[in-house]
Amino acid sequence: MNLTLTHLFAILPLIIVGITVVVVMLSAAWRRHHFLNATLTVIGLNLALASVVWVYFAGQGAVAPDLASSAVGFPTLVTPLVMIDGYALFYMALILVAALACSTLANAYLEGLDEHREEFYLLLLSSTMGAMLLVSSIHMVSLFLGLELMSVALYGMAAYTFKRRVSLESGIKYMVLSAVASSFLLFGMALLYAAYGTLEFASLGLRLVFEDSVGIWTLIGVGMMVIGLGFKLSIVPFHMWTPDVYEGAPAPVSAFLATVSKVAVFAVLVRFMIMSPTFDTKLHTVIAVLAALSMIVGNLLALGQTNLKRLLGYSSIAHLGYLLSAVVALRAGVTDGGGELSFTGQLVLETTGIYLATYVLTTLGAFGVVTLVSSPSRGQDVAQLHHFRGLFWRRPYLAVILTFMMLSLAGIPMTAGFIGKFYVLALNMNEELWWLAGTVVLGSAIGLYYYLRVMVSLYLAEPGEIQRDAAHDWGQRSGGVMVLIAALLTLLFGIYPQPLIDLVQAASPVGY
Amino acid sequence: MIAQYWAVTIFVLATLALLVFMIGAASVLGGRAWGHEKNTPFESGILGAGSAHIRFSAKFYLVAMLFVIFDIEALYLFAWAVSVREVGWEGLIGAAVFIFILLAGLVYDARMGALDWAPKQRRASGRHESF
Repeated sequence: MNLTLTHLFAILPLIIVGITVVVVMLSAAWRRHHFLNATLTVIGLNLALASVVWVYFAGQGAVAPDLASSAVGFPTLVTPLVMIDGYALFYMALILVAALACSTLANAYLEGLDEHREEFYLLLLSSTMGAMLLVSSIHMVSLFLGLELMSVALYGMAAYTFKRRVSLESGIKYMVLSAVASSFLLFGMALLYAAYGTLEFASLGLRLVFEDSVGIWTLIGVGMMVIGLGFKLSIVPFHMWTPDVYEGAPAPVSAFLATVSKVAVFAVLVRFMIMSPTFDTKLHTVIAVLAALSMIVGNLLALGQTNLKRLLGYSSIAHLGYLLSAVVALRAGVTDGGGELSFTGQLVLETTGIYLATYVLTTLGAFGVVTLVSSPSRGQDVAQLHHFRGLFWRRPYLAVILTFMMLSLAGIPMTAGFIGKFYVLALNMNEELWWLAGTVVLGSAIGLYYYLRVMVSLYLAEPGEIQRDAAHDWGQRSGGVMVLIAALLTLLFGIYPQPLIDLVQAASPVGY
Repeated sequence: MIAQYWAVTIFVLATLALLVFMIGAASVLGGRAWGHEKNTPFESGILGAGSAHIRFSAKFYLVAMLFVIFDIEALYLFAWAVSVREVGWEGLIGAAVFIFILLAGLVYDARMGALDWAPKQRRASGRHESF
């Protein structure tokens, strides 16, 4: 297939981020200037975000082409690897917003470092590009390419403040474990290729439809892929790295890890499950058990944590567990008789989109406050709970925002987190997955305890000596503004979620 | 299968038996000598000097990494080189973009001082920040 201008237009967001990488690299080589490079990065990400919107609206008028021909229009198949459709564009926008938020947070954080601040933006942009490729991939090759591009840059980001031992440790730990997970993923892909001779999601699904029973090697292959992706999503038996890496990495990197990498991998997992839906029911049983384990174990382990970053790490394990229960609902298949998306399929897509969007907003807000309070400008990057003790009496607005984010993570009404959790529960009820719905309720109940514990410590009497504090003018800094916006959006979507729901409904994958 | 290749099987077994006989008979019949010199590493008859645990300069690794990066990336150009007529202008533009990105990387490396081989104190007073 030839690349025409239409194809290039469709991957405009990817191209813009790629150009920004090169521009930032040359600019850092030309002159080391933190503010200049940060500005270039933010401009690039904003342009990419604008181009996502442009590509979406330009495609609205065009007729949908069939997949086989290289017809132009929207959604566009760019080479057999990449599919730019509403689904990909929605998650690209989510990733770009999260990356923007992380780069504003990093801007404040990196002020405290005395050298090599500029390369951080290079790594962040590369990682973002990998994540964007991941959400638009419909082929194992682009899946692996995107995953590695995202992860390899993340190792560097996690170990970025390498003079702190914990940061270096977290980077190396993440690299070694992630490489093992990637090899599992590759082996799984190889087994699938051996069985079916194709690596495209759609043709894999097509082969499986005509098969009466799934062979043992296919099952092992898919199982190995679940292990590889489960590691990246930190689903429970593969979650050991999460708290250590979150704790050791600089706070903006933890935020990036908790939002961008999770969103991208989960989006591609759902796309894969939707395009190749007829896998054995055993697989769905396995996923259901993994989801339940993640909810329970993640929440239980979070109970004893005294470090806010570790606590958020465990909480992210639990949240991915809630999300994974949505994938279990795909066991019934996503299409009805006429090849249209069934009600369940629609509900799964909506749940995934809304839960991920609300989770990203909330996590960004929470990590944003942690970054503002624990930035390394005055010593080490610390996030022990006692550093946050009495924050309300020093920085009332920040404390209120963190409280609100904790409420949202716990899923209290009036916050965006409630809408997400409501969708998960509604989906489980609709699919009559009673025990899974029960586990969600149980997990949320356990979770409420430690979220409340964080809130209580914010309002306790001020300790004698203040060890940690945000800068006085945090509200005027870009990171502070980002945190405020995240808090306002969380409140807005908690009260009036309709705009978000409309957005997610418009973002369906190709063919549906 | 074995019926067809029985000669090969006998050959393999006979070889193994001969080897076992040679080593076994030598160890039973031969004498043994012990000594300090026997335990030193054999360096073509020259006495070994110093420990093998030396610390390499981190520069070696940096240069090795740069070599691997540019070598592997240049490898992709071979795919374009063998099909340069078939892919035409589009291929040329694609390859140009690719080479430009590599060049940008090279400029970055040079400016960061990754290609300055001499140690810092022997260089003229620091032109650039280096790693």
